[in-house]
Amino acid sequence: MKRNNKSVMNMVGLAAVVGLLVFSSLSFGEEAYDEGTYGPQAPIVWAKPVKGVVFVHKIHTMDAGLTCDNCHDKLFEMAAGTAEKNADFTMDSLYKGKYCGACHDGQMAFAANTRCTSCHAGVKGYNRLTGAAPQGKAPVKH
Amino acid sequence: MKIDDLEKLENEGAENLPSEERRRFLRFGLAVTGVFVGGSVLSLTSARKAQSDMGPVPATGAFPYKPHYTMVIRQNRCIDCERCLEACAKTNNVPSYGYRTTILQREREIERGAKERVFMPVLCNHCNRPPCVRVCPTTATYKDKKNGIVMMDYKRCIGCKTCMAACPYNARYFKEENRAIDKCNFCYDTRLSKGESKTACAAACPAGVRIFGDLTDYDSEAYKLIHMPDKVVWVLRPETGAMPNVFYMND
Ligand code: SF4
Ligand code: SF4
Repeated sequence: MKRNNKSVMNMVGLAAVVGLLVFSSLSFGEEAYDEGTYGPQAPIVWAKPVKGVVFVHKIHTMDAGLTCDNCHDKLFEMAAGTAEKNADFTMDSLYKGKYCGACHDGQMAFAANTRCTSCHAGVKGYNRLTGAAPQGKAPVKH
Repeated sequence: MKIDDLEKLENEGAENLPSEERRRFLRFGLAVTGVFVGGSVLSLTSARKAQSDMGPVPATGAFPYKPHYTMVIRQNRCIDCERCLEACAKTNNVPSYGYRTTILQREREIERGAKERVFMPVLCNHCNRPPCVRVCPTTATYKDKKNGIVMMDYKRCIGCKTCMAACPYNARYFKEENRAIDKCNFCYDTRLSKGESKTACAAACPAGVRIFGDLTDYDSEAYKLIHMPDKVVWVLRPETGAMPNVFYMND
């Protein structure tokens, strides 16, 4: 009988701790994402000059502490998709410090000619993120 | 003597072991890696493993063909833009349901739970010991005697798909239009025989992933890349013994 009581008490204690953790993570940990402060939540997915290059605002603003005017409007216009209309939106420009290359220079952030797949999600990533049907992968009939 | 004690002994080196002794062990499939207690205790490993430890790149001069075509894949540069696949399909009339080359992807755990995506271009390895050629009942698929490209003679193919089953690399598909198996031939008919020096995929790649070349040309970029002393070079599924000619590395 005594043992039973004890285990019941333990359960209550455990529940209390779990409750506290959930509560505290809500109150301090997960700050709500505010699009006004941190930019659109949906990833920006470029298709030019190569398909499937992904930019996530949250990583750069909320996590890394940049503000809107660090990049807008000097490096990037506010309207999504403007940069990819430019003929100089290329890796070479990045190496010269334009666009993402302003920070991704190996000093402030990893250099633009390293860790390719951190930003390049490819055609597969493009299809996954935009919901486009993969091309040329129709079921094979034998 | 206990194993624990043996481990503490100093390896006296196998250099002074008579070669008859080494050969005797080789016959059992074992290679001597060390000598202890004046040669009375030997340390052995499987000869096959000792061979694979030398790496997948054949010794210079041991390339059986001339030219000996190869493709070096600098894997970490691939961004899955798939321009190579488009160029291949256009050049070689590849239908949408099949492929001669494709891009595989996987996710790899890196530091502190972060993930890295890896794209891996794959194509026919133009193996030195091609299982597909060995099993073909009509010799419709064959290894070219001069340049080593594993080719198809569509007219002879009866569509039995035995080669598809035999290929460890999934490099073949059945092309309805030809009623025959189709596969990568390093663009031999469409480009190389017309004087082009690169395959369509290699020419289209914007990231310098696919380096096509000739291993008997020691000045070629491909030869130099896979002989850099500080780089790890690998092939896919070396255990099958097919001896691929497509090499992988991270630049
Ligand atoms: S073209 Fe180059 S970078 Fe693009 S998917 Fe093919 S191998 Fe990868
Ligand atoms: S990769 Fe497959 S199809 Fe190509 S030579 Fe090797 S076994 Fe044959």
